[in-house]
Amino acid sequence: MNVLILLALILFVLMKVVGGEKGTRSFTALFFNFGIILMTVILMTDQAINPIFITIIACTLISCVNLFYINRFNFKSVTAFVSTIITLVLLIMVIFIIVDRSKIQGFGIEEIEELLSFSFYLGIDFGKIAICTIIMGTIGAVTDTAISISSAMNEIYLHNPTLDRYHLFKSGMNVGKDILGTTTNTLFFAFIGGYLALIIWFKDLGYSFGEVVNSKVFSSEVISIFYTGAGAILIIPITAGLTAYSLVKYKKI
Amino acid sequence: MNIQWKKKTIFIYGMILFCILVSILFVQNNFYLYEQPIAKVVEATMTDEKETIDSFENKDQLFQQQLVGEIKNGEQQGQQILLENQYSLSGAADHEFQVGDIVFVTIQRNEETNLAGSIDGPKRDIYVVIAAWFFILIVLLIGRKSGLFSIISLVVNVLVLIIAMNYYTSLEDVDLWLICGGLVIFFTVFSLLLVSGNNEKTHAAIIATLAGTFSSLVIAYAVIALTAGEGLRYEEMAFITRNPQSIFLASLLVGSLGAAMDIAITITSSLYELNDKNNAISLKDLKTSGREIGKDIMGTMANVLFFAYVSGSIPMILLYLKNGMAVNYTLTMNLSLELTRALVGSIGIVMTIPISIYTATYFIRKRRAVK
Repeated sequence: MNVLILLALILFVLMKVVGGEKGTRSFTALFFNFGIILMTVILMTDQAINPIFITIIACTLISCVNLFYINRFNFKSVTAFVSTIITLVLLIMVIFIIVDRSKIQGFGIEEIEELLSFSFYLGIDFGKIAICTIIMGTIGAVTDTAISISSAMNEIYLHNPTLDRYHLFKSGMNVGKDILGTTTNTLFFAFIGGYLALIIWFKDLGYSFGEVVNSKVFSSEVISIFYTGAGAILIIPITAGLTAYSLVKYKKI
Repeated sequence: MNIQWKKKTIFIYGMILFCILVSILFVQNNFYLYEQPIAKVVEATMTDEKETIDSFENKDQLFQQQLVGEIKNGEQQGQQILLENQYSLSGAADHEFQVGDIVFVTIQRNEETNLAGSIDGPKRDIYVVIAAWFFILIVLLIGRKSGLFSIISLVVNVLVLIIAMNYYTSLEDVDLWLICGGLVIFFTVFSLLLVSGNNEKTHAAIIATLAGTFSSLVIAYAVIALTAGEGLRYEEMAFITRNPQSIFLASLLVGSLGAAMDIAITITSSLYELNDKNNAISLKDLKTSGREIGKDIMGTMANVLFFAYVSGSIPMILLYLKNGMAVNYTLTMNLSLELTRALVGSIGIVMTIPISIYTATYFIRKRRAVK
């Protein structure tokens, strides 16, 4: 049997046993998201459509799956959704400026050497693809943080309905500070795990520090980690602010 | 007191700003550190432009550029160099250069005054530094003190990892397993102690994290052994100088760690919080609450890993698809390892939930028994 199928089966059983009905939904959500990513990549091969536009649509759909399908459509998930979209747009603007200048798009010399039989003149703007890759890498962490903060703030408001916007925002930020450390950890170790081979490879081939830092393979990876992490943190004040604002405005108990 | 606090904040932010400026100035002027010649582009003219169509009907435009650069280091410092560059509109394997760009060059011809050479690649260290500062600033502004702690823990973890890898590659017969196992224990103990202090809660979280991570690895190992690794395409790992399977398993171990830590600390601290607020709460109620929290976080956490892993493969998948490869082949070649990482990480997440609940309630029960 295939490794992937067996692992997926084990994950499904575990999620169902531990999480019950919500566990099953969490598992199917992974499948939906996989489908969305596939569709996105296939659409990106069409050079007539701007890949950033496709990515924004895809991220909107992914947030819908993560927020409305796993957590159901309610006040918490709607504020989390709006915050996610605002963060994505902000992030795209920042990344656009820097990725363009740092020339980290496409493939490094080390990768190209292994892909010599491929044609690289494909008519797709790989600079834009690099931006899309970073945005897609952060979307999971962004929705995760958004829903954690908005549901924690809902609980707080439920128990203290007299809180004003400023204090609500403050407590939202406090929740956010707790999440910040663990989320950056999750992303950091995931990347380290993914690039352990690269680190050993650089060491084995005796790359100097300067060569490593300036190589495309390394710098593109590190720059992506930093912007992915920044996105996952930028969502904290945005969700806290938006939830504080709309809780007081729309949810007078 | 308020004024003092303000002074302190201004001082801290001043220091950070100072560090940013100094480091950026340094990286902008560190040419003397490099042995390879570096040139700054001072003139760029386009000399040729043509359309290409490859055998898969992909249309692209090719440009020929003539650049004049000023050498920034070494014996030829201050001299001008003539550089040729070809780039495409898609830029998958090449770059367009503009006036002001800084590039590494190889000098090929050295005639009295006119140097000529080729470009090896742009100097990117400045962008790595800018991205790092952008991240650090956001973490500090939003997380304040806890942000500082998480940056310290990231920096120490990276340094320890580099030292460990140095050690591993310099010695012949050291087991990668042993090193990664040691690393995982160090990362967990250090990060969790730094984040939530040396107390019973942290001890419970450390035990739960390690148990969750290692049990997910045992599952992964068993599955790979049972299926004889069918469906895993190790040739996808481009950067390999050693046995791919042992490197892959080690990377699974490190990769699942962060998520397991996240789950363990979230559940453990919520259970301790509940216990502190209401000492009379029954252990059974504690377990139920723990399960509820676990249900809420496991779905989105699994997604964090999923997107972090899969998104990195997008450019490569595009390259395969545009080169006329079948979708099926493209996906197995490019995603089998990434999906395995995401699945094993998610299994770690789900396993850590009951383990955390069990360890936390065990410690709480022991504490109550003492009282």
